[in-house]
Amino acid sequence: MTEKPLAIEVSNLTKRFGALTAVDNVSFNVSSGEFFGFLGPNGAGKTTLIRMLTTLLRPTEGRAVVASHDVEKEPGAVRYSIGVVPQAMTSDLDLTGWENMDIYGRFYGIPKKQRRERIAYLLETVGLSARAHDLVATYSGGMRRRLEIARVLVHRPAILFLDEPTLGLDPQSRRVVWEFIQKSRGEDSLTIFLTTHYMDEAEALCDRVAIIDYGRIIAIGSPDELKAQVPGNDIIILTTKGIPPDTEARIKVIPYVHNVKIEGDVIRVYVDKGAQNVADLIEKVKIIGVSIEAVEIHRQSLEDVFIHYTGRSIREEEAKKVSFLVGAGVPSKLR
Amino acid sequence: MKAIAVIDRDLRRFRRNPVIIAMSVIMPIVYLIILGNSFQGKIKGIPLAVVNYDSGQYARRLMENLRAVEAGPRTFFIVNLNDQKAAVNGVREGRYKGALIIPPDFSKRIILTTRPELGLFTDNTDAISSGALNEAVSGALREIKSGYTPIRENPSEVYLRGEDLYRKVDYDQSLVPGVVIMAIFMGTMITGVFNLVMDRFLGVDESYLLTPLTKGDIVTGLVVSGLFITTLLALMVFVLGVLITGIPLSGGIGQCGAIFMVIVLTTLGLLSMMFIFLGRANHPRIVGIFSGFMNVILFFPSGAVYPIASFPGWLKTFARINPEAYAVDALKALIFKGVRFHAIIGDIAFLTLFTLITMTIAIMTFKRTL
Repeated sequence: MTEKPLAIEVSNLTKRFGALTAVDNVSFNVSSGEFFGFLGPNGAGKTTLIRMLTTLLRPTEGRAVVASHDVEKEPGAVRYSIGVVPQAMTSDLDLTGWENMDIYGRFYGIPKKQRRERIAYLLETVGLSARAHDLVATYSGGMRRRLEIARVLVHRPAILFLDEPTLGLDPQSRRVVWEFIQKSRGEDSLTIFLTTHYMDEAEALCDRVAIIDYGRIIAIGSPDELKAQVPGNDIIILTTKGIPPDTEARIKVIPYVHNVKIEGDVIRVYVDKGAQNVADLIEKVKIIGVSIEAVEIHRQSLEDVFIHYTGRSIREEEAKKVSFLVGAGVPSKLR
Repeated sequence: MKAIAVIDRDLRRFRRNPVIIAMSVIMPIVYLIILGNSFQGKIKGIPLAVVNYDSGQYARRLMENLRAVEAGPRTFFIVNLNDQKAAVNGVREGRYKGALIIPPDFSKRIILTTRPELGLFTDNTDAISSGALNEAVSGALREIKSGYTPIRENPSEVYLRGEDLYRKVDYDQSLVPGVVIMAIFMGTMITGVFNLVMDRFLGVDESYLLTPLTKGDIVTGLVVSGLFITTLLALMVFVLGVLITGIPLSGGIGQCGAIFMVIVLTTLGLLSMMFIFLGRANHPRIVGIFSGFMNVILFFPSGAVYPIASFPGWLKTFARINPEAYAVDALKALIFKGVRFHAIIGDIAFLTLFTLITMTIAIMTFKRTL
């Protein structure tokens, strides 16, 4: 079997902002046509990494090759080959949807006739044809995001970078966005590089996932491979009223228990055959002296993989996200 | 050419903000009206309290001269009082800018040549009014010993005969070149690099930094779109200024073409210069602070309001590298002196060189990454 050519090659990539190392010696490859996900909490280094791969930031160390072009030596060639949907909404509010796409197409030097046909098709596909000549200022968040994804496909890029594309969207808009991306992937043999902190999104869409935390890749593989690395197929989550000091050690010795994680008053027990063993586990935990308030069993997910590797939930980090306006006007080196 | 798409984007966005367009035209015109009417080039209408205790001929003659000033140049208007103390208190309380006291023995002392004196109490915290009063009263005083005005010139006297080389220019008319330059300055602060700073502030800049646009495409595109908008605004301000102040433009197409050229070159130079200073700014507040600062340091030493020749040496040196000074000089020559193009070739050469240098530096120093 012949191996697919590489769309992205990253070797020992590092980015430092003064004393802060945002991306720390990261290496990985993405094959052509692959849907690759980068998972991690806010501040983990996802956006910095994507900005280096898309020529917006210069790496401090290491090398990245995107679409066979070195990002530092041939940034112009890289830009012709990629389409990027940044985390922030970047469409012009003072322009119509059509104008946004048309001007973007002109930045790539696409001939007028070809541009018009492509824009009409893309707007139709994302369901914005009827609103094409309205100012983007009148669009909803979901419509604007769909427009932005359609816009970066005008020049038929080989690689699509999506930086948290569904952040802040309602479930319906998220679904529409993903349907469109899946459709485009099928039509244009796109390689897709996605950063997200939505575990379900990564699990459902990505061929492979890398988990990043504090700038370093801590796990990489297909969602199934990653889940297989965590012992126990099921997790029994016990919400308690307080946990005695030796609880973790005493639960770990139960035969069907693979691992135990305690976060505050919540005990996560990694077990085989969760439904079969839950009653027994509750009994044993009560004997230890733990008062249980609620019990939940769920199949292992990437969220559990993240907890397994980092010891904390990815959702804890979401609350720390602040407005993009905070820090505006501060020299970038201080940020 | 991809820069044309940058220009198109910028112009479309600007066109959809009519309030900014209107404000950019109205503000320099309001400036012209306010400055033209508030100062008028000469001090007028200062309240002067006069207390005359003397009924002699020289006191009468002085009062006649003062009334002549009141009726003619109108530097002051006279408020006759009987009480010296009330007059001086009036100055202290701000009702009058000066109090002139004519003592009872004023005429007698002139006749006897025993050192006649007048008292002029002025509010010296207002240096301009105080100076103007001193000058006007001294002028009135110099004439009181002449019993009549000679009809024929005295052959033994030396006369200074003033001849105006150009037609009379009213004070408000003289402000028009400066107001046009101010409109250009304002235009360059709301276009060009300002749009880049706003894009950066809103995070929109990523959308075009991620495309194959080069540094040259981005800088040139924004500067050229700024040039279109600012030139249009400056021309509107110029036409309105000419109509409001009644400047006769008789130089035809040549004169208008040269004025247009000066406006275009000044705009290009300022837009490029702003790119050098603000090309890496990321907040509109920085532009706001910077524009206030730059407006003062470029506009006042430009010769638009005060003559450069009267500046101290260091400020004259600064004026030599101030593009607005060359622009004002060229516009004044074209509008008021009706000179031909060759007379402003030095100004044009400086503005061209300034534009080329600043544009080159702007492109070189522009950071294409975040």
